Amino acid sequence: MDKLLRKKSNIILFLAPAFILFTAVLFIPICKAIFYSLCNYKTNYPIEFVGFDNYVKLFTLDTTMKTALKNSLFFMIFSCVTQLFFGLVLAALLTNIKAGRNVFKNIYYLPCVLSSAALGLLWMFVFTPKLGINKMMESFGWIDDCANGPQWLFNTDGFIILPIIVISFVALWQYVGQSMMLYMAQISGISSDIYEAAAIDGCTKTQAFFRITLPLIKPMVATAMSLNAIGSLKFFDLVYNMIPEGFLGNRAHVLATHLYDQAFKFNKLGYGCAIGVVLLIMCLIVTFLINKFVKVESYE
Amino acid sequence: MATMNISMDNSVVEKDKTKRKIISIAIYTFLVILALIYLLPLLWVLMTSLKDDAILMISPWAFPEHLMFENYSYAWKMGYLGRATLNSFIVCSITLLVSMVVGSMAAFAIAKLRWKFSKLMLTYFMIGMMIPIHCVLIPLFIQFSSWKLTNSLVGLIIPYVTFSLPITIYIMVGFFESIPGELFEASVIDGCSVPRMFVSVALPMAKTGFMVTGLMSFVSNWNELLLAMVFISKETVKTLPVSLTKFVGPYHTNYCQMFAAIVIAIIPTIIVYCIFANQIVEGLTAGAVKG
Repeated sequence: MDKLLRKKSNIILFLAPAFILFTAVLFIPICKAIFYSLCNYKTNYPIEFVGFDNYVKLFTLDTTMKTALKNSLFFMIFSCVTQLFFGLVLAALLTNIKAGRNVFKNIYYLPCVLSSAALGLLWMFVFTPKLGINKMMESFGWIDDCANGPQWLFNTDGFIILPIIVISFVALWQYVGQSMMLYMAQISGISSDIYEAAAIDGCTKTQAFFRITLPLIKPMVATAMSLNAIGSLKFFDLVYNMIPEGFLGNRAHVLATHLYDQAFKFNKLGYGCAIGVVLLIMCLIVTFLINKFVKVESYE
Repeated sequence: MATMNISMDNSVVEKDKTKRKIISIAIYTFLVILALIYLLPLLWVLMTSLKDDAILMISPWAFPEHLMFENYSYAWKMGYLGRATLNSFIVCSITLLVSMVVGSMAAFAIAKLRWKFSKLMLTYFMIGMMIPIHCVLIPLFIQFSSWKLTNSLVGLIIPYVTFSLPITIYIMVGFFESIPGELFEASVIDGCSVPRMFVSVALPMAKTGFMVTGLMSFVSNWNELLLAMVFISKETVKTLPVSLTKFVGPYHTNYCQMFAAIVIAIIPTIIVYCIFANQIVEGLTAGAVKG
């Protein structure tokens, strides 16, 4: 038995397809991306090694990159904070109600499995100035004329422009179900003995939530937060589909759209790779920081 | 507790009861309102997709007076959505099959075969979960265009399979590890080879795992936009999310057809979700709760 399971040929046979695919399509391209990011590489031009030139340009000359970084970081912080809060609230409410828990859970989770591209179009329409939400506000008499109402997707004033805030709320709507689900999974894993013991000691439900539930789901907070952070740094579909191309100039770029524009519209492949590498490093740093500061202690 | 209740004044108990009732009503009101915020936009899309564009401009929130099924036939034909739906189906189902076969084989080797580096190999695959697709997009595009794989469905299937592998392997390792070793011993005594053991012992035992991973890979690949947008420019091989981007922009005039297109794009995932909601949820949580 043991001999059969240790046979090299079997191991190679079973592992080879996945290993080759993974290495060829993921690992080698990453190495290549790092190499290209150090080159001046444009479509139809020869590759030329330039060292850290792309990165220097990226952080000193490129104003769009500054906007993109700012917007991406805003998305990240916003989604981490709001999803932590609303995800926890929803999870706490849903684990405490008796009837209809699954129905509500499935409804809140539904947008997570739908295409962001399609939902982006839907919300784009809702926030179109003359139609959608402005029309509704007009019929309630909150604003005089729907065309002069808030320009949800076209206002470019402020440090963080309004369209970005609108999109981050849409993202919250779409993805809060995922955080909720993770917290619920963790909460339902807590043994009911602990709550019973606390109740005998005269603990109210609110106290129980802050003193028992919160400390026990801390590991999941770290997981959910890093998922949120990475997800919002990678953000592409909603931004691309809700803000028409070139409509706001460069004010509404995030890292992913900036990468897409540079590499596939302006054909600066090396430069695009540099943005990709920055994105990768940011993802790694954020995951590391969250896991370090949201200390995972095991109580059970 | 019992003695406490007896000693309590009747009115206090009554007060406590009403208080609890009010709280639970408040919670349910909140949850129902929130559920409406989630469901109404989707129902409204369905309603609007059957409307006339001129009426939409005047009263976007009203019910349609007569149903315009032409919107669907227009989106299906002129927006090439019929073709795109077919493409999405082909890509997603082939990806699903291949990633399950390849992923479960690797998971079996990691979980049940005995060799020194199996933990290390698992870590190697798990790194894939942290890497954003954007990072490998450009080198992959360069490589695939030199192999003439862009603008073909195969060119989409290969990266999709690879990006489904980490989660598939992770979940399947869990399932294979929970199968008791005695089963395999018995099959060896009966003269089973390892590949045979995999097919007739391990696979049937891990049916739930396949369900979970398959659904997840289907849902995420069905919605994938960025890679498909970069790799595909020919109208006849576009997948659904890419075809939808045609409708972006203020100069696109017919909103009702856009809504018909949205419905076509999200209906398959809604159906899959309604049937398999519990498995999908289980899979996504299991995938996130990694070691």
